[in-house]
Amino acid sequence: MQKIILLVLSSLIYTQIAAQDDYLLHVNSIPLELRVKSNAVVRFNDVQINIIAYNKVVYTNKRIITVLNKEGDYKVDAYHHYDENINIQNLEARVFNSNGKEIKKFKKNDFKDVSAVSGGTLYSDSRVKYLDYTPINYPYTILFETKVIYNSTAFIPSWLPIEGFYVSSENNEYKITNTSEIPIKIKTSNFEAYNIKKISDFHYRSENLQAIEPEAYSPDFKTYAPILKAALTQFDMEGIKGVNTNWEDFGLWINNSLISGTQELPQAVKNNIKYLTENANSNMEKAKIVYEYMQDKTRYISVQVGIGGWKPMEAQDVDRLAYGDCKALTNYTQALLKEVGVPSYYTIIYGADNLIDIDQDFSATQGNHAILCLPNNGDYVWLECTSKTNPFGYNANFTDDREALIITPEGGKIVRTKVYHAKENLQEIQADIILDDTGTVIGEIKIQSKGAQYGKHEGIQTTTVKEQELYYKNDFWSDLNNLEILKMNFNNNKDSIVFTEDIKVKIPRYASKAGNRLLFQPNLFNKITKTPPRYKNRKLPFVIERGYTDVDTYEIQFSNSLHVEAIKEPVTIKNKFGSYKLSITTANNIITYKRELILNKGTYSKEDYQEFRDFCLSIKKHDSSKIVFNSKT
Amino acid sequence: MKLVFLFVSVFALQMATAQDYKFGKISKEELQETSDPEDPEANAAVLYRSQEIKFEYIESKGFVQKNDIHERIKIYNKEGFDQATKSIKLYNESNELEESLTGFKAYTYNLEGNKITEDKLKNDGIFEEETNKYWLTTKFTMPNIKEGCIIEYKYTIQSELIRIDDIEFQQEIPIRKLDFKMVTPEFYNYSKYPNLRAAYYPQLNDSYKEKTVSLSGEMQTSIEHAGGRREARSDFSRNDWKYSENITTANLDNIPAMKSETHVSNLDNYRAVMKMDLNYIQYPNQPRKDYSTNWERVTTTIYNSNDFGEQLKKSGYFSNDLSAAIAGATDPIEQTYNIFNFVKHKVKWNGLHGYYTDLGVRQAYKQGVGNVADINLILIAMLREAGLEANPVLISTKDNGVPLFPTRNGFNYVICAVNTAQGIILLDASDSFTSLNVIPVKALNWQGRLIRKDGSSDWINLSVQNPSKEIVSLNMKLNPDLSATGKVRNQYTDYSALDYRNTFENYSQDDLIKEIESENGNLQVSNIEVADMVVPIKPVLLSYEYQLDEALEEIGDNYYFSPLLFLKIKESPFKLQNRKYPIDLNFPTSRKYMVNIMLPEGFQVESLPENQKVQYNKTEGEFTYLVKENGSMLQLVITLDLNNTLILPANYQEFKKFFELLVSKQAEKIVLKKV
Repeated sequence: MQKIILLVLSSLIYTQIAAQDDYLLHVNSIPLELRVKSNAVVRFNDVQINIIAYNKVVYTNKRIITVLNKEGDYKVDAYHHYDENINIQNLEARVFNSNGKEIKKFKKNDFKDVSAVSGGTLYSDSRVKYLDYTPINYPYTILFETKVIYNSTAFIPSWLPIEGFYVSSENNEYKITNTSEIPIKIKTSNFEAYNIKKISDFHYRSENLQAIEPEAYSPDFKTYAPILKAALTQFDMEGIKGVNTNWEDFGLWINNSLISGTQELPQAVKNNIKYLTENANSNMEKAKIVYEYMQDKTRYISVQVGIGGWKPMEAQDVDRLAYGDCKALTNYTQALLKEVGVPSYYTIIYGADNLIDIDQDFSATQGNHAILCLPNNGDYVWLECTSKTNPFGYNANFTDDREALIITPEGGKIVRTKVYHAKENLQEIQADIILDDTGTVIGEIKIQSKGAQYGKHEGIQTTTVKEQELYYKNDFWSDLNNLEILKMNFNNNKDSIVFTEDIKVKIPRYASKAGNRLLFQPNLFNKITKTPPRYKNRKLPFVIERGYTDVDTYEIQFSNSLHVEAIKEPVTIKNKFGSYKLSITTANNIITYKRELILNKGTYSKEDYQEFRDFCLSIKKHDSSKIVFNSKT
Repeated sequence: MKLVFLFVSVFALQMATAQDYKFGKISKEELQETSDPEDPEANAAVLYRSQEIKFEYIESKGFVQKNDIHERIKIYNKEGFDQATKSIKLYNESNELEESLTGFKAYTYNLEGNKITEDKLKNDGIFEEETNKYWLTTKFTMPNIKEGCIIEYKYTIQSELIRIDDIEFQQEIPIRKLDFKMVTPEFYNYSKYPNLRAAYYPQLNDSYKEKTVSLSGEMQTSIEHAGGRREARSDFSRNDWKYSENITTANLDNIPAMKSETHVSNLDNYRAVMKMDLNYIQYPNQPRKDYSTNWERVTTTIYNSNDFGEQLKKSGYFSNDLSAAIAGATDPIEQTYNIFNFVKHKVKWNGLHGYYTDLGVRQAYKQGVGNVADINLILIAMLREAGLEANPVLISTKDNGVPLFPTRNGFNYVICAVNTAQGIILLDASDSFTSLNVIPVKALNWQGRLIRKDGSSDWINLSVQNPSKEIVSLNMKLNPDLSATGKVRNQYTDYSALDYRNTFENYSQDDLIKEIESENGNLQVSNIEVADMVVPIKPVLLSYEYQLDEALEEIGDNYYFSPLLFLKIKESPFKLQNRKYPIDLNFPTSRKYMVNIMLPEGFQVESLPENQKVQYNKTEGEFTYLVKENGSMLQLVITLDLNNTLILPANYQEFKKFFELLVSKQAEKIVLKKV
């Protein structure tokens, strides 16, 4: 009975759309405003999601997209992933020229079928079928129809009526039909700003949404673009039934169904870890020993098969193989900590350089990474278990300052991870420099970095000498022409989390000649050279995700045959974005150069952007200011 | 005979035991080693590798190729852990064209205290991936990897293919000892081509010996798959069978690691690798079947194929379009250009290389899409039909390596050459921005093989003779408020234009402005125009107006500025102290800056940079700097000519210095003062 109703319904939809197709397949019917800043136009996109049962969801999509130029090719998105529990019923694509004439047709078997192992993963059972089409002319239009049955329903496809940058959207519709008993929940964001209409519960439509252009320093796309998220309150994850009405019970389910029973350890390991921690005085001391033991023993290998994409590998297997993915290594560390009586929480998070939150208002399978959380007197310490080198408790640049889901015995809870403040993210450069009368410079430099800046520097210690030299020449000091590295020495203090680089350099003809003058930039080693781009009409707010402090102190001893003709006055700038201080003094053939730059973390309105840009421009100007020497001879 | 064999193998076994290279015989000394004695920076080293390729006769199948690999790798530190994960690619197109993996075993060895422990690789560490229609990949990652551990594995790849894969003697990590042995039956004649350009050259020894196979019944020769195609199957019978085997061996020590450098066209061009090419198959009492022996024959084989020469003969599919394409042009070069343009627009490239057609010219023409051969063979056929002398040129792209040895795999690309009164014009219609004598840079690889209608062939030089130009005119008015305003005009020709078109193809005017402004935060660009972006026969013309705030820097009583303002080359791209491999600059270039500067009222010149001329390797590179003062006007002409496209490691120091000098020179300031 149910089947018949569905059949009627879907055929009804089909005829309705078919009448419209002809119009949409013609390129000249694209509204002018949708061509602005667009590489592709989604003419029509209809997403139908039918919830049949907690473990059966049917996804149907019809999509007409016109690609305006080569850059728009990848927006076609004519592909679908599949695996054991995702069954592609139908895939069909038809290609039309700009006049709406069909020029090619692809059936399901014409799609390329390849393993969908992504970077960093050794093996996964996920596969993808994709359309391999070479455009003959631009613009062209593709009509893409998909029907997929999901038996694993932990992810309900979300809806982004604006799919990304440089793509506009003419008609876009999303509808969930729920014939099961299972309540579903949805969350919509930023719908008002884009005038997205609610047709009924779980049914939305958008019209004529213009393309968005990326802008420097803008926040995560999903924080300002319209998005609809959906989730089932009871779902299936690769054959395991799950519950999700809120974070608490979702967390409990993770604990009971995915984690519990995976933390058995061999007796010898238990004894060993107890023995190693027996003289430790506090939980944190024990945890540090355990963490370093785990780092020493294991390495990161990612294998994602079936439920293994969600459930951690058994701790005893990690122990035997000495490798695992983020889930496995986190779980293993937790098992070891449990053994020595230190409580910890398995944590789900988005790992990325930029700050991406788990959406705390919407409990669902989110995140792409697992770490471990240690409660510590009302605060938390975070352990990145996939790193063999991170100092204990160091999580800057990948999992810092964001909402995360911790799995406690009482259930799931959202907490914010450690914030690395401008003051902690310190880079200090001290240099002793000798300048001769040909403009050649020899310098001994000490760079100390802490906080988030520690993570930007410490990676160099494990590369080859050649790569280290190239790092200074191509990256850190790329603006120094003729740079020669004479000596390098590194010291990594993991207890205090300070990385020190001792470098000796020579820069032939560093100071440039101008007649009988030498122009010398006293800021040799830490110049701002790039500034934020200019926007005539900035549209998006901007974010400085991590603040930092740079302190530079250089002593420059110059040749007797040179004398200072002109020197810069001190500078002090202070505003809401931070502060900049510069002073240059000279005495007895020695110039002392002092610079301090503090950039604050913050979210600012688009109106503030110009002021921020001006701040950066003036820093750049002061950083490149010169001292003029006159040759005495 | 058998006795002798037994003796030899026992002897070999004893030798191996003494040297500890037998599988599983790991020594404490090896485990205690903390760095490679020859290359202390290496994160890992191959302690031992052996490879044995042989053809075994199996009655039901014929000759079966077996490729035995045994490798023992020492991992010194955690940066070397990548070596614990490996992939074995197996060709898997169909049952007959299938490679299979047998006898795979692997162990990790560690030293715990004074004891050697071993961990066997189990199924949970082995993953079989159906990568796509043609390839199966077996991936594995070793258990219990620790700093200082040793991994060891062996396997056999078995197939009925006659083709022998490239034999690699060099890896990204050093190899301490390598034993290689290849035994091929006399019926298969191969040429061996070690890479002459590799810095490391393996010493090979050749010999042969008799072999007897006793047969119970019917004998079959194997199916030939050399070109990935099923071509012949022959059966014949005999009861007892003697034949000889060719044996090649190498016993090598201390093979250095490959290390990458920038501006190398293809690092694999310098790897110690041996290519094996099948010359002919000759079974007893059967005619000899030839493959390739010299370039003439390689060319003939390709030319005679259905997917090449035959395709050139077809013409019916375009007959109606040809006259329209020519559009009344009578001059041969104009005709060539018109047909070239027509084909470019008619058939689009599907991203595939090759000298054999993919769909065939007729289908490609109809569908409007094809591989490089489809497109350029259509072009040649149309040019020929129009009475022009057009011929295919076989090429090896830079990725494919330089065509040093006569093998069919030596080529992977085909373009068109038209012989005109003004000389040869090279054409490649597979790229929308190519032009007459401007082909994609990837195809500019030394020389190509031109094949005439009668099947005769010759080499032609592919290196670009005329320098591609970039001419910049910069007009600058300096203002009393220290800003500069003016106009910039850039002209790009030939390969510089191709480069510009490829890079900025999809940039809007706003994007271009942003791109130029990104060089300097104080810069504002307006009235930007790009002319002839999509007319590849013409130069690209870029012009815009600009305003640069704080162009003059005031220090003390003087004012300083760089005469190229925001256009200057900021840094030398060549920063390595030394190089092992040549730098490939692709094509000769000639850059010229013409700068006209109007000084602000009330200012005068305090000092000017000196005129200068610098050369690299005589006239292979030349930089000139010329400045003239003329009342309130300054004129500069700065040129940079790079005439040689290959910079050899021996000349690198001089080249580096040359570049550093010109970068310093361009950064020199003009000093002004108030009157």
